[in-house]
Amino acid sequence: MLFPTVTFAIFFMIVLPTSWALMRRQRAWQAFILVASYVFYAWWDWRFIFLLAASTVGNHAAAVAIHRSRSARARKLLLSTDIAFNLGLLAYFKYAGFLVSSVENGLSRLGLPSSSWVLTVTLPIGISFFTFMAMSYVVDIYRRELEPADFPRFAVYLSFFPHLVAGPIVRGSELLPQLERPRDAREIDTSRAFFLILSGLFFKVVIANQLATHIVDDVFAAPNRHSSLEVLTAVYGYAVQILADFMGYTNIAIGVALLLGFRFPQNFNSPYSATSLQDFWRRWHMTLSRWLRDYLYIGLGGNRKGKARTYVNLALTMLLGGLWHGAAWTFVVWGGLHGGGLAVERLARDVLGRRWAPRETAARRWIGRIVVFHFVCLGWIFFRASSLGAAGSVITRLFTAWGEPSPLVTTGVVLPIVVGIAANYVPARALPATFSRFGRLPAVAQAACLAVGLMLVDTLGPQGVAPFIYFRF
Amino acid sequence: MRAAAKMIAVLFLALALASLLNARSLRKMAEIQTPGTQRDVSVWFSSQLVSVSGFLRLDRPRQELKDAIGRSGDDVVDTRVALPPPPAFPGPAEHPSPHKTKARPKPRPKPAREAYTPLHPLRVWVAGDSLAEVPGTSLERLTGSNEPVDVVQTESRLATGLTRPDVFNWFTRLPAAVKQLRPRVAVLSFGADDAHDYIRGLPAGHIVGAIGSASWGAEYRRRVVGVTRELNDAGVYVVWLGIPISSSPARNARFRFIDRILSGVAKADPRGATYIDAYSLFARGGQYNAYLRGANGQLVLMRAADGVHYTTTAGDLVARTVLARLGEVFELEK
Repeated sequence: MLFPTVTFAIFFMIVLPTSWALMRRQRAWQAFILVASYVFYAWWDWRFIFLLAASTVGNHAAAVAIHRSRSARARKLLLSTDIAFNLGLLAYFKYAGFLVSSVENGLSRLGLPSSSWVLTVTLPIGISFFTFMAMSYVVDIYRRELEPADFPRFAVYLSFFPHLVAGPIVRGSELLPQLERPRDAREIDTSRAFFLILSGLFFKVVIANQLATHIVDDVFAAPNRHSSLEVLTAVYGYAVQILADFMGYTNIAIGVALLLGFRFPQNFNSPYSATSLQDFWRRWHMTLSRWLRDYLYIGLGGNRKGKARTYVNLALTMLLGGLWHGAAWTFVVWGGLHGGGLAVERLARDVLGRRWAPRETAARRWIGRIVVFHFVCLGWIFFRASSLGAAGSVITRLFTAWGEPSPLVTTGVVLPIVVGIAANYVPARALPATFSRFGRLPAVAQAACLAVGLMLVDTLGPQGVAPFIYFRF
Repeated sequence: MRAAAKMIAVLFLALALASLLNARSLRKMAEIQTPGTQRDVSVWFSSQLVSVSGFLRLDRPRQELKDAIGRSGDDVVDTRVALPPPPAFPGPAEHPSPHKTKARPKPRPKPAREAYTPLHPLRVWVAGDSLAEVPGTSLERLTGSNEPVDVVQTESRLATGLTRPDVFNWFTRLPAAVKQLRPRVAVLSFGADDAHDYIRGLPAGHIVGAIGSASWGAEYRRRVVGVTRELNDAGVYVVWLGIPISSSPARNARFRFIDRILSGVAKADPRGATYIDAYSLFARGGQYNAYLRGANGQLVLMRAADGVHYTTTAGDLVARTVLARLGEVFELEK
């Protein structure tokens, strides 16, 4: 079930009070929240709860075996088996068709015999997220950074419904300690939770959908029918749409978890205010980028094997990060662009030394922000386009149709773009004061504010439920 | 626990208040569900909310805002199925003969084909459910700016069809769109969201059986014929896009049933309509596969992960098929 639906609201209104009522009885609470999470997941397709269960059992068994093993060789073998198991799941569900068709097309181009059989597999919702969470848990056990949790706690950790289908990718070290003891409702910043949920709904339901339906979808589907101004606006629009869509969803997830008593890590931190590509990746999908850093980049050697190898590791990590998003060459190019950009940035830093980062001024920061934002927008063209050719058409059209009529560039499109980008520049210190004021309001006043917010979201949003970009990962 | 109780109370109160402020939206959501206990309970409950909301005038802010943004009709549930009355002597489309006749057709002189050029292009409107979107945008892209075909608009509405005017009333929209956009051709995609038992907007006292039954088929055919005739009367040639094969065999049986109705209606009056057999276009050996061989012999992903919708490549294939068919009906001079 999707967050911004009446079904989820009813589900959550049952789960929330029951969760707090059972909170002091941890075993009962764990059983209840596990059942609730599986019901949540089964709502999509009941068949996939067996996949989730298999992943839970398999990864827990591997973690316990690794922890108990005294032999370094055996531990490594168990870790490799577990990673192969998880990557095997991903490969089968996500990449089988892409890999097989790519191999067959390659064989065909070489004039070699190939079959026409291609596997068609339904993609389970959220598989990329919970598989990465499971792998990070087992690797942390292997590195002796974490002790294995008992099975019920691990099962809750992996299947906890707020993060299950679209992240954030929560580490074992972040959530498992919270699952050890009952949560204290007095420690919850409910104002922040309500703000996250409401703002998440607004960005996802209103901003993202408005841009998708009023300019982005039309332009990316047929760029040659639109002016350069419309194409440029659509590219900016997609940059805001994907941020609003994904940040909106994870903010709701973080807010929902907070109301249940659990703190999730932040996933977005004003990414379009980044002054360098490295800075961007510390602000965008933060839980994925730190996963890639800690489990892939460092695993490949990080920056410990010389400068040349560092650049290669950066590029390779981002290339694989691109592939994580989906089985298409456009994602590979997107990842490659970012990997190449990060490598070039690192190279420039290494070569220029202090000249790369002289005393920072406001002008330098703004130049950095503008350059990085446009580089990221270039990457988004590939991320959004249906093919490399389609991306090429968008890029070409950016330069070849200036002066043509631009009926799609309206206030209804420009305003959400401005709001979306401006949201990246709201000072972080402004929010706690607002939360504090809200928290001091009487309960009825708080409820009234929330109700008006929900009314605005429902009134301005589309009829029905808007799709969510990151669900296909 | 007091802190938890307060948090839960605030949330419950907020949702209760929001329900009153958005009562009309909730009622519409309840009404458009499929029949059953859940719908009955939802409709009853939301109707009480609408009454209370109206009494307290809590429905005004939403309506004022909807009026201000030009979406006043969003919460209206319109189940009218307005179709032109059947002709005095019904043709084969309304009452397909169960027996094959071998009457020799009267030879008719072939009318000259209408000619269109890039300066005077053929105006095409693509409309329908979510399966209309990708072929529609493919048609827009393939016809570009210097072609004898001009796609004036692609209007794709998720989860809509001819059986559920309460979700979106195409019977009201079609004639309005024709007046507004003045197309010569309407490429219509309906059926995938009609593949269920429930039909709304039935004439009073009329009951239909489950999909697959003669009564369901007759009612659906009546609607398809009515839409075709209404558009033909307005000077619009209709291209019915069939439903493509999907990954679900159960769904395919229903899709085939609807496709037979669409193709039958188009065959009955080839001067006014044609049918594109998307089912066969995307079946390989009669089976579903997300990958098919493209024109260059390479395997290409044609279907989305849901096993129903098209990728852009598939949309292009449908669009080219439509253009080829239009080229047979009209003179398209480049």
